[in-house]
Amino acid sequence: MEADLMESLTLDGNAVAGFLEEIFGAEMTASPSQCASCGYAGYLGTLLVYLHAPGVVLRCPQCKGIVLRIVKTPRAVYLDARGVECIRITLRG
Amino acid sequence: MVWQLATVRAVRQETPRVKTITLELPGWSPHRPGQHYDIRLTAPDGYQAQRSYSIASEPERVGEIDLTVEWIENGEVSSYLHDVVALDDRLEVRGPIGGYFVWTAEMGGPLLLVGGGSGVVPLMAMLRHRAAVGSSVPARLLYSSRTPEDVIYAAELERLSRQPGGVEVFHTLTRSQPPGWKGYARRIDRAMLAEVLQPLGMQAQAFICGPTLLVENVADHLVQLGLPPSNIRTERFGPTGGPS
Repeated sequence: MEADLMESLTLDGNAVAGFLEEIFGAEMTASPSQCASCGYAGYLGTLLVYLHAPGVVLRCPQCKGIVLRIVKTPRAVYLDARGVECIRITLRG
Repeated sequence: MVWQLATVRAVRQETPRVKTITLELPGWSPHRPGQHYDIRLTAPDGYQAQRSYSIASEPERVGEIDLTVEWIENGEVSSYLHDVVALDDRLEVRGPIGGYFVWTAEMGGPLLLVGGGSGVVPLMAMLRHRAAVGSSVPARLLYSSRTPEDVIYAAELERLSRQPGGVEVFHTLTRSQPPGWKGYARRIDRAMLAEVLQPLGMQAQAFICGPTLLVENVADHLVQLGLPPSNIRTERFGPTGGPS
């Protein structure tokens, strides 16, 4: 029952698209990403996001490992990107 | 991407638990079907709640957007939008947001849209846009609802399907069906997807939106049926009735 609840609360990168755009200054859900743990390659929009975690945690849909962790405080943004091979930020043309 | 104050111009009850709110935006810009807007509510004590809602309307409707919102028990924002919001009210919104789960007619097809419950909302924006630009891209919608009363946009989908070159709509009603029902009457499974996908072929672009389990299952089935994974785009909706 607990597992079902967690499952149903699972969203994806689309759910935090506005937040990601705020942090990175660009649309990020269509950015390719590669999981540093298992090599899963997919767009940021496909990463799993959990509703009630502190900050924003994006996990790999394949191995469930943490890909990105972002915490925003009034004065700073902390970004832990150890779980991703490379982040691509599209520059506005 | 900045916050702007939108004005409520219309409110429409779609089903017992689903409403569409029309918002006029001073800073409107054309969106891509599948994108969403964030709504932010601020209480007198400064407490803020924010949620995303997929745009239901087509970008060809200038100056305003439709957001279709499902009422969620204990939902902070959805209950406000359902019970409190009235005509001429102002709402803080920002958008349009998103770049992955989007479809415009120039992207071509064929198009396979699979929606569960309120997951049909972004798919409806795609279909309304397709009709507005007169696109002849073959399109099929497989739409899962619990009961006939829960089917959002039922009459409009019927009308779209009757247009020449209109989308083909397949409903599945999982809990109860009306007398004489000839459509599907079970949860989406591989056999159902095989039937709906077959005429579109393996070039089809698939967009799946709805509860997380439906999205995962349908994506798995489509891959097993031979659709290339790169042809499949997904958006998970939560109990809040929208992407977040």
